Amino acid sequence: MSDTLRPTDSQSPQPGQPLLARIKRRSFFMYAGATAGATALVLAGCSKDTSTPSSATGNVSFGTGDASVLNYAYALEQLEAAFYAKVAALTVSPLLAAEVPYFAKVATHEAIHRDFLRTAINRDFGGTIIPDLTPKFDSIDFTKRVKAPADTKLGILDAAKAFEDLGVAAYNGAAKLLKSPVYLGIAGQIVSVEARHAAYVRDLILPGSFATNEAGDVLGFDRQLAPAAVLTIAQNYVEQTLNGSTIGQ
Amino acid sequence: MKLISLLDQLAATPATAAPAPRRALLAQLGRAAVAALPLGATALSVAAAPTDTSYDAVTQLLLLERTQVALYTQGLAAPGLIPTAQTADFQRMLAHQTQHAALLLKALQDAGAVVPVLPRFDFSGRHSVATNPELFPAVLTSYDAFLALAQQLEDLGVRIYKNYIFIITDPQLLRAFLRIHSVEAEHSAHIRGLRKSRGAVVQHWPSEEDAAIVRPTAAQGLTTAATGGEETGVQYLTPGVPVPFASFLLISTNTAIHDPALAEAFDEPVSSAVAQTALNLFV
Repeated sequence: MSDTLRPTDSQSPQPGQPLLARIKRRSFFMYAGATAGATALVLAGCSKDTSTPSSATGNVSFGTGDASVLNYAYALEQLEAAFYAKVAALTVSPLLAAEVPYFAKVATHEAIHRDFLRTAINRDFGGTIIPDLTPKFDSIDFTKRVKAPADTKLGILDAAKAFEDLGVAAYNGAAKLLKSPVYLGIAGQIVSVEARHAAYVRDLILPGSFATNEAGDVLGFDRQLAPAAVLTIAQNYVEQTLNGSTIGQ
Repeated sequence: MKLISLLDQLAATPATAAPAPRRALLAQLGRAAVAALPLGATALSVAAAPTDTSYDAVTQLLLLERTQVALYTQGLAAPGLIPTAQTADFQRMLAHQTQHAALLLKALQDAGAVVPVLPRFDFSGRHSVATNPELFPAVLTSYDAFLALAQQLEDLGVRIYKNYIFIITDPQLLRAFLRIHSVEAEHSAHIRGLRKSRGAVVQHWPSEEDAAIVRPTAAQGLTTAATGGEETGVQYLTPGVPVPFASFLLISTNTAIHDPALAEAFDEPVSSAVAQTALNLFV
């Protein structure tokens, strides 16, 4: 079973088709499965049919225009969804009992974001969608809740914080690149949920650390990062080479 | 001028007058103050075009931030209200909101726009008239009541900023709004976590699984503005205007298979009128 970040809804929509059909019962059971501790990731990995085969090597180019910004968001959501799906799939979790269902819920949110963006890209920018990314989580120790000072790998909470902070900074930095108010609106609807996740995870690591309290932060203002800076970080967790040089152009 | 340096300057000296840099924006705001130009109109379809201007946006956001500053200031000053372990949390949120208010105030001042007078806030809902009915009892004596109101105001803040992302065309203010918007969401998640730890049935995000915060009818405007419609599976571009591909998520409302996560995964905006009704409860 591969770790490929396959979308749960494997039949990507064609332009012009109604979107109502896109979340099907099967997808729903996958979301429910993620909540229950099985994972969208595992289920998807068992499925054979795919319209966007990925390879572990090669370049991922994001293209230009709004399609590139959406694909950029889609890449980050793929990464987050795969990470949380893997956490939710752990048979032995280092997380506290109260945290397990919350992480399962976050896994579901991220899977929904990923599928929503994939559907929007396929509907409005047919043919431009990036391939499924292959995650590279070898810098994360899924047996550790939090990294100890001597550890070289991130614990689950450290990695979750890294992904959520990266997501918030990425959306905050990319919104100005979007030309269409529709997508700006969607980005706004998603980013505040990412921020809620970020605050939750931060509070788990250190109670009261929910927002902008680290070196380099401006008091009261979350970070924003340009795509190049975000992808430099994201690259650490993806096998393919990410080329975002034309995002938003 | 980079926004970051502007913000740094704000952090150091929030009250000082600006040097000259942001003339374009300021001209916009000043013009809006006089002529009420719909600055966002070019970017929006006719159907979605709001009547709000940049001036309306900044003044309403200033009222929001001033309301939050006043709540946290009064809360921190109330003896025995906020537990010692969480005093620092509220001091930090107060510092954030003070920064936000300073930025908005500065934008208005630099534009030469009319700066609204700082209202007198009354978190009982009595509008500073003792004979009026108390709509929000014990906000400054019961920590649970305080947290419930704080949560609703933070959720409201997330939604107001989300609404105005479309109206502000100045790129620097847009970026500032986005960066504040996510901080408001972090505040809300934190306060929701505090309530959860005290036994409230609440998630870190608006969810239909949350227990309702019970208010008298006259105070319902706050609940409507803070979380009304969050349970929707339809995503809205601006309040009342669904995104063109809204049907993507409609299955959440028309099937026996119902997953609250679908609605949780997207926060919703609030219209300026609904938001104003809520904010008016406290002045």
